[in-house]
Amino acid sequence: MSDMDPILTLDKVSYMYPRSTEPVLRDISLQIRRGEFLGLIGPTGAGKTTLCLTLNGIVPQFYGGRFFGRATVAGLDTVEHPVSELAQHVGSVFQDPETQLISTSVENEIAFALENLRMPREEIQHRIPRVLDAVRLSGTERKHPHELSGGQKQRLAIAAALAMQPDLLVLDEPTSQLDPVGAEEVFAVVRELNRELGMTIVMASHAAEEMAEYADRIALLSAGHLVAVGTPEEIYSQVNLLEEHSLRPPQVAHTFYRMKGNGLPIHDVPVQLEPALKSLDALRSDCQVVPLPMQPEPPARSLERLLSVKELRHVYPDGTEALHGISLDIARGEYVLIVGQNGAGKTTLVKHFLSLLQPTMGTVIVGGTDTRQLPVSELARRIGYVAQNPDDQIFNSTVSDEVAFALRNLHYPAPEVETRTAEALQAMGLLEAREQHPLSLPKGDRARVVIAAILAMKPEVLIFDEPTTGQDFQGARYILDISRQLHQMGKTVIVITHHLYLMPEYAERVIVMGKGTILLDAPIRQAYHQVELLRSTFLNPPQAVLLARHIGQWQGVDLPLLTPQEVADCLVCGPRQGQVP
Amino acid sequence: MSQAPLGEEREIKFLGGTAIDGAPVAYIVVLAAVVVGLAFVPLSAVIGSGKSFPMSQAIFPLIGWILGPIAGAAANAVGALIGVLLAPHTTTVPAATVLGALLGGFAAGAMAISGSRKNWWMVAGAVGLLAYAAYAGRAVLQNGVGIVPVILGSFIDWSALLLYLLPTRSLAARWIGGKDLGKLAVGLFLGTWMVAGLTHLLSSAIVYYALNWPAPVWAAMAPVAPIEHAVRGIVGTVIGTGVIAGLRAIGLVKPKYAAY
Repeated sequence: MSDMDPILTLDKVSYMYPRSTEPVLRDISLQIRRGEFLGLIGPTGAGKTTLCLTLNGIVPQFYGGRFFGRATVAGLDTVEHPVSELAQHVGSVFQDPETQLISTSVENEIAFALENLRMPREEIQHRIPRVLDAVRLSGTERKHPHELSGGQKQRLAIAAALAMQPDLLVLDEPTSQLDPVGAEEVFAVVRELNRELGMTIVMASHAAEEMAEYADRIALLSAGHLVAVGTPEEIYSQVNLLEEHSLRPPQVAHTFYRMKGNGLPIHDVPVQLEPALKSLDALRSDCQVVPLPMQPEPPARSLERLLSVKELRHVYPDGTEALHGISLDIARGEYVLIVGQNGAGKTTLVKHFLSLLQPTMGTVIVGGTDTRQLPVSELARRIGYVAQNPDDQIFNSTVSDEVAFALRNLHYPAPEVETRTAEALQAMGLLEAREQHPLSLPKGDRARVVIAAILAMKPEVLIFDEPTTGQDFQGARYILDISRQLHQMGKTVIVITHHLYLMPEYAERVIVMGKGTILLDAPIRQAYHQVELLRSTFLNPPQAVLLARHIGQWQGVDLPLLTPQEVADCLVCGPRQGQVP
Repeated sequence: MSQAPLGEEREIKFLGGTAIDGAPVAYIVVLAAVVVGLAFVPLSAVIGSGKSFPMSQAIFPLIGWILGPIAGAAANAVGALIGVLLAPHTTTVPAATVLGALLGGFAAGAMAISGSRKNWWMVAGAVGLLAYAAYAGRAVLQNGVGIVPVILGSFIDWSALLLYLLPTRSLAARWIGGKDLGKLAVGLFLGTWMVAGLTHLLSSAIVYYALNWPAPVWAAMAPVAPIEHAVRGIVGTVIGTGVIAGLRAIGLVKPKYAAY
């Protein structure tokens, strides 16, 4: 078989899950060449995961249902060959590394599938070091998988798939649960496998900037249809098409698309940072920088310190010092973003506000009172904590019961429970769903159920811990819009996230943490432009910020711009119109 | 469906190679393990022998409906065999427990099958008839127990046999296979009454030959046994409704002869 032969052919593939009346994949026809990197993008529910599962035969052989058309991988029809045979040609890596690892050591994890295929011991021993080297995990053979970081676990899952020496590696949102460091590790390994070893890759991901950089072609799925296939330049430059399907383009593409809309002489919309910087330089002689329109002043905030930590130090029982004597004040009504790499101490810090952790040294003050003098139930009334996965906080059989649960347990009178529950349901737009099972709702709505349950307690502070992890763009925006709504209602909001590009429209103040210390505490326009400092804690500044800084360098000034729209609006081509802000 | 797919529809087969009569071995192993687990839980004391019976009796029929007659019988028999070894406190005569479990899986699995296996239910019915003849016959003809106490004491056995032989068997199977959750629950109760009754009948016949309990026990069983049997039905219904609704919701491949 030559390199130009397709490794994968989908011919009019449609699929319906059992008891479903509508196909989740509709008439998909697509070919992938050997050695190609195909990016799969689409909103939640587009059929990306189903398509990934089709490639190794799990759909339809495991799920049943109705399958139409033909899917062929390495010459094998996925309906006619068992999954065990297809698995030798298609390696699969899924979203959550925790659910893929089952063995007690790294080398056993890799050996597991090979042993199941009755491969000789010598061959297994030969393959283990090779695949560990390929994913840069050499030296971890005897470690328990749980000792590895998130990125290392996902790389171990890739190694286990590689050990089968597949023709095709399918990765379904492999970085969505990882911090920026872990995501970068996984992308680096996948890129190396593709470019240096010629491995064919199919990767579903919402990471637009990375997909634009690494993929040879992008396939856009929406509502089960293959809407478009093309190079990253062809797909990501069609910003209107992406927005129509609730997808986010890379920020450079978004910026240049807006510039084009503003009448700037842009011929091709770049989708990667380096070409975008070159395109900007090409505009330099014809265009001028105009002042940033006056931003509305944020409403005056109370000066009352609602949350304070003084010289807070926390040492976990295993001796890890997670916080090194930090001090911080948060005023009533602020919207604060806390960022930093995994292990920076973000969650450790906010857990002190709830007395879920006790200070080793220092003090934590909530509303003027030391938390050591406040029971956890009192803190739970005043501070609502929305964990990363809303499903972890749902356990009642109706939405209404879920929202009322804490109130009943705190022995509020029945009429007050009813009133508060109804108010919280109404605020979150859940009144009509009050009798439904919470887990039967879409994920965005499940997050609203958890938030409604917290709102019913009428807390002064809401803490969202990684609310956007695992969400697509639309889902992430939905949750953040709720946080803004609550902020406008006068609540103090604290959000922890790695996704800096999502936050300019929401946060006012940014606290950057690294290795248990506060590296920076500044307004968002100032904080996002501390590029080197952000990178020192493995955070990627949004591309719009990098473009703004590049433009600012033309005239040796700082342009405190944050979004693609602001960057697009700061350039005007033609007669000089204004001064640098 | 809003628009017919362009591609030809393909027949979906279970291709793992590790299936028994169309049921993946993994399913059989898991359900046999559930039988073992429930074998540890005593459901009630049995008047005749002074020992108890395991809660697993309540799900023997369910396993037959999930896996079909052969795989269901295999899962029940394997689970019951391991159960009597690990949890002897809930069994009286091990062979009776294992054979009863085997018959339960087969009888339930055979209830809803059409095509070339449409008459398999007759095998279970015939075994039931023979078992009742041996059971009641020994009591009346050999031991001289009065007909009335025997009929009253074996109410759950003959009522189950009768319901199984009559079209109520197909009715229960239809309800179990239908989408209406209410009818599913009623079908599970009715089906568990008849299939667990057949299991009880075969097991009791064997135990009666082994222990030959005294005549007064028949009268004592009359008010107690239906209550015990109703409990089997309720347990089977509660577990079965949840399991079948769950299996439908997650959409795993159905064994070839599944009834749900």
